Amino acid sequence: MIKLIGAVCILFAGTMLGFYQSLQISSRPRQIRQTIQALQRLETEISYGYNPLPDALFTVAGTTAGPVGSLFAEAASGLKDGGTDSVRESWSNAVERCWGSTAMKRTEREAFLQLGSVLGISGREDQAKHLRLAASILQAEEEAAAEDNRRFGKMWRSLGMLAGALIVILMY
Amino acid sequence: MSLMPILTLLPPALREPVARLPAELQKRAEELRIREGRPLEIVHSEGYAFVGPNGNPLGQAAGSCIPTREDCAKLLELLTRHSIYSYEEELKRGYITVEGGHRVGLAGRTVLEESRVKQIRDVSGFNIRIAREVTGCGRKVLPHIMDYGERNVHHTLIVSPPQHGKTTMIRDLARMISSGEWPEAGFAGGRKVGIVDERSEIAAGVRGVPRFDVGPRTDVMDGCPKSEGMIMMIRSMSPEVLVADEIGRPEDAYAIHEAVHAGIRVIATAHGSSLEDALRRPVLRELAEDRVFRRVVVLRKGPGGVSVESVSEIE
Repeated sequence: MIKLIGAVCILFAGTMLGFYQSLQISSRPRQIRQTIQALQRLETEISYGYNPLPDALFTVAGTTAGPVGSLFAEAASGLKDGGTDSVRESWSNAVERCWGSTAMKRTEREAFLQLGSVLGISGREDQAKHLRLAASILQAEEEAAAEDNRRFGKMWRSLGMLAGALIVILMY
Repeated sequence: MSLMPILTLLPPALREPVARLPAELQKRAEELRIREGRPLEIVHSEGYAFVGPNGNPLGQAAGSCIPTREDCAKLLELLTRHSIYSYEEELKRGYITVEGGHRVGLAGRTVLEESRVKQIRDVSGFNIRIAREVTGCGRKVLPHIMDYGERNVHHTLIVSPPQHGKTTMIRDLARMISSGEWPEAGFAGGRKVGIVDERSEIAAGVRGVPRFDVGPRTDVMDGCPKSEGMIMMIRSMSPEVLVADEIGRPEDAYAIHEAVHAGIRVIATAHGSSLEDALRRPVLRELAEDRVFRRVVVLRKGPGGVSVESVSEIE
């Protein structure tokens, strides 16, 4: 009887693990897309609105949902009036604190951090160029991530359950 | 007034020593000069001093606080609210005005485009000029420039060397004229005043709203080139008195002529150590030859504060 309960538990855990992995793989391209859109909005705020960076980041954070939104909100909160953080510091602190809750990977992180070291410290045209560069790097990653999702998304879902089943069979 | 308002603009390494300066020195401070790799300096009404790491004023450079390259980069970031892109025009002209009306002059390596300055890169020298509101200082000048016939003020040019209180003076004059604080009875209330504040120094506008008291009937065109701003004011805001700082370009003269012909009284300032000095500049000479200004007031700063050195009446 206990063996049976254990087997059900293992089967359930395996399935859940598979679903979790598959969810991670499918949210990565979505979050990269959100980040690209947020960067495009930031470009508009900077190029046409001349909005100061803290305000621009808050606006972008307000219109971006989920962990990507909180990443921008965190970066903006470090730049409030009276603070002493530079953009680079505030940006990397935000990445440190919030990156874990996103499904994005190392390459995206590098591109994002790189952007933080140039944001706000040059003219409008230059800012637009940097933002577009970061967006194009993310674009390439997004395509790769979407491909991964197609290939491995379904696989992980069935793999989790099958792995659970394998363990159960080996147990008996 | 202490240096508190500008402290939040300084990076931590400079904030500490400046905050610890003796209160009495902070009250007299006029400029804070920050140069990369050279001692931190404070200029006050009686001279200058270098600032030691504990905020102790020093007579010599040795042992004083030395701002680093990182300090300067961070200072520029804090001054521009992390947004150099929204200060491109100001960086081209070599100064930015921060909240509170303090003007920060910048020096460094310039970037040229078609042999004109496009931007200052590697900013390594900052001069933070501390703006102060001296309510009541206009009382020294207002009696000299009143037009009793028209119950208004004369067209007036205020001349003084830099740092001798021109901007403070016209700010207070605008306040007095706007609120109707006439030194003599019979002028009946304030006048509509229009201030064209190209560098946000007169009214210290934040998002278009003046932070200094410039009077209840005063409109401010903030951050606007003087000539264009004056014409816009004349067309749309029906001012009775127009106030503008530091005129000197040909288009300023055109705008002043427009205002004079529209029956608006003009109060303007110009750099110069004396009347003759100011009139050497082509635009001012032309305005003087046309007898536009009826009063020219020369200010001089002495130990007891700013005083009126001379008033020329031109009829």
